[in-house]
Amino acid sequence: MFTIHRDAARDADAAFNRLALRVHAVQRANNPVLRRYWDAVSDGQPVAWDEIPPVPVRAFRDMPIVTGTAEVIFRTSGTTGGGVGGGGGNARRGEHHVASLELYRAAARDNYRRHLFAGAPALRLISLVPNPADVPDSSLATMAGFISREREVARTVWAFDPESGVDVAAVREAVASPPPPPILLLTTAFALVQLLDALAHSPLPLPHGSRVMETGGFKGRAAEVDRSTLYRRVHGTLGVPESHIVNEYGMTEMLSQAYDCVAGQGPPAGERVHRFPPWVRTRALDPADLSPLPPGRPGLLAHFDLANAASVCHLLTEDYGSVTADGGVRLLGRAPGAALRGCSLAAEAFLRMTGAA
Amino acid sequence: MTPSGAVREPTGAGEALAGRLTDAWVLPPGIPSPDAYDRLRAGDLPVRHPTRDALDADTVISALRDAHRGLAAIPTAGMVRILGGAAEALTRQLDRADLRDIAANGRLSAAMARAVVEGMAPSWTTAALDHLVRAEFPEPRVLDGFVAETGGREGAADEAAPGVRDDAGEPGQPARAAAAAAPRRRVRAAGPAVTLHFGAGSVPGVTVTSMIRALLVRSAVLVKPGAGDIALTVRFARLLHRADPRLARAVAVQYWPGGAPEWDGWERDLMRAADQVVVYGGDGAIESVRARAPASTRVIEHPHRIGVAIVDTRAPGPDDADAPPGDAAVPGSDLLARAAQATARAAALFEQRGCVSTHLVLLVGGEAAASAFCAELADGLAALETELPPGPRTLAEMSSLHQIRGRLAMKGAALRTAATGSWTVILASAEAFEPMDGRSVWVVPVDGLEPCRELLAPLSPVLQTIGLAGFDGSRAAALAEDLVAIGATRIVPLDQVPFPAADWLHDGARPLRELVRWSELR
Repeated sequence: MFTIHRDAARDADAAFNRLALRVHAVQRANNPVLRRYWDAVSDGQPVAWDEIPPVPVRAFRDMPIVTGTAEVIFRTSGTTGGGVGGGGGNARRGEHHVASLELYRAAARDNYRRHLFAGAPALRLISLVPNPADVPDSSLATMAGFISREREVARTVWAFDPESGVDVAAVREAVASPPPPPILLLTTAFALVQLLDALAHSPLPLPHGSRVMETGGFKGRAAEVDRSTLYRRVHGTLGVPESHIVNEYGMTEMLSQAYDCVAGQGPPAGERVHRFPPWVRTRALDPADLSPLPPGRPGLLAHFDLANAASVCHLLTEDYGSVTADGGVRLLGRAPGAALRGCSLAAEAFLRMTGAA
Repeated sequence: MTPSGAVREPTGAGEALAGRLTDAWVLPPGIPSPDAYDRLRAGDLPVRHPTRDALDADTVISALRDAHRGLAAIPTAGMVRILGGAAEALTRQLDRADLRDIAANGRLSAAMARAVVEGMAPSWTTAALDHLVRAEFPEPRVLDGFVAETGGREGAADEAAPGVRDDAGEPGQPARAAAAAAPRRRVRAAGPAVTLHFGAGSVPGVTVTSMIRALLVRSAVLVKPGAGDIALTVRFARLLHRADPRLARAVAVQYWPGGAPEWDGWERDLMRAADQVVVYGGDGAIESVRARAPASTRVIEHPHRIGVAIVDTRAPGPDDADAPPGDAAVPGSDLLARAAQATARAAALFEQRGCVSTHLVLLVGGEAAASAFCAELADGLAALETELPPGPRTLAEMSSLHQIRGRLAMKGAALRTAATGSWTVILASAEAFEPMDGRSVWVVPVDGLEPCRELLAPLSPVLQTIGLAGFDGSRAAALAEDLVAIGATRIVPLDQVPFPAADWLHDGARPLRELVRWSELR
């Protein structure tokens, strides 16, 4: 049995490697910027996916990285990477040129269905993620739109305005209105804190079986809170237990996402491991020299997402974490802490001054 | 290095540093010591500072204001001796453990901390301070009392002609001068009672310099050191307290987390109560002080700056009016090598956190010369990894470096990098330039001096020091006129970039004159 399992894993790795090299060859052949980059930083042709140098996510701010023609352009909210944590806000927005919305939907769908819809034949959706009609260049809003169109979703209430924030009255009304199916609350961590603050003196218990998907950081606009504290507040205010709160890890530059549990089965926040679909591989790299680190050793995370076929697959993020022996990802945060500065001009200030930000 | 600037006990290079717990305050006698503290790590130095409620802003400022009279009674020459003596004692007494604290605090290697303090120390000596005072006020007694101004000239007493008789009745110059220009008025330069300082983040010594300047004009000081400059600042303040009881009453240091919401009221109280504020910092810090300081409080700003080098490697040619005249003693390759070494040092010192630090080199002389310069510069930076090991880098800094290196490679920049990641040399066009952390120098080949002016013009708001190599005096002077027009305030030989003289025109201002108020007596 063990042998069979190991063989299957080896086959999967081999299949992944073949696909990765094929996609890389296409990207190299069709994108001169990527070709120049890979020629500059590596020697020879890679024979394994992890020999392909990852592209820094901040490069998405500088230039379109597209292999082929884009159907849609997603833009970051100002912090390229957009993974856990946050910060910045004054930087140029990164752009991810996506060849096909259908490819994005295909990359996202099975994963969100498996992690968010488990045990719920019907759901009402309350989204504190903006309506994609309002922000068509948001990859997260687009995914919320995908979710809202699933057959299990009986009704959707969009309760976040990009200008004014969380529409607490709309949330109250949606929770109060029949019919009784449980609620799926889609939210950024920032919006969730805003909602919890608004409901601090008037809890709003959601129906039994409701679940929360929270994602992203606080974008420097609210004091960061640790996830355990946040989840206790969710339980206290919305009545949703920690086991039903799912964290999604994704970024504009990447079409696939990772989730840290299946709704209803979540362990305590501190014990969770994020899992991508099988077409993504993640490594932790030594922050000093980007050499790969063994499982359990934290470093800068690099993801290889085959769904990024139309842009670039291998990404060097600014997120910090480790990988588990079975390919899971333990997120530890964003590369923390601003550098102490003396009297020398910082890049961000320079870019603001020159109008490049 | 002057003898007085020598730092005892050289330290090992590159060792892991962990500082000792440091109390981040020095208060005048009479102010009760705080009884409640918060702890934090400033760089790698554990520090504790009074809690928000442990001290009262008005009490501290009032004590300093009361001390001002005693401070003002110290004659200029005496103040120079006291401050110079204390500063000389500071550098003389720093031992290995002190340097480790300073290094840990600023996240520098011990060798770098030593080099920085030794580099700054010559500008703090008694002789240097005497020179500074005389450079600012040719008649230094104007800081001690009213001095007659003669010649009918408007302006400062230091421009007064010789031949005046001061309030003390000391003999003047020959009577012919007095006869030629009868005094129209008497003038006096005086620092305000209390100057509040917000120090720079992590360049040890900048705050010491700022304190010295204010005290030279007899302004009592309340200093909030930058988070990375606590260790040296409190040591200097303690020495001042020991040096003279009048200074003990007039010098206060306290660290608090600047800009933190719970300290907003404290900062506002201080800015309201102080007479003037000297602030070093980034856009956010400067704008925050500007927004909160009342109109009656003068604000003197030292924002973040950027340093540039212009290296002209061209061989002189008869048809090249722009090219340098022949200099047989400095063949091109030698110039290039020496300029590269000077650039490496200017980039490495302070880990490029100094306002004088060189980030960008405009290399006049074509692609081949630029490439050769980059190779020399890389060698120089590699050598300095041993002489001046880099300090510990944060995860954010390392991550940021990988991101920007990758971005530059995608843009076609030619990179030379250290295997350790501690330095980067970028040969690329100027359009993509942005300052980077971590001993990163951007080299841009240019065809002549005119492109230099065009390329530097967009940097005008933040330009400060420009180091020159490959220029003789007349060409440097001619180029300087253009550089002044685009905002440069310090134009010096490249090898003098890291450590300005005591009397340098810091950010385009006279360092003592900007602190004083002039009074006239008619």
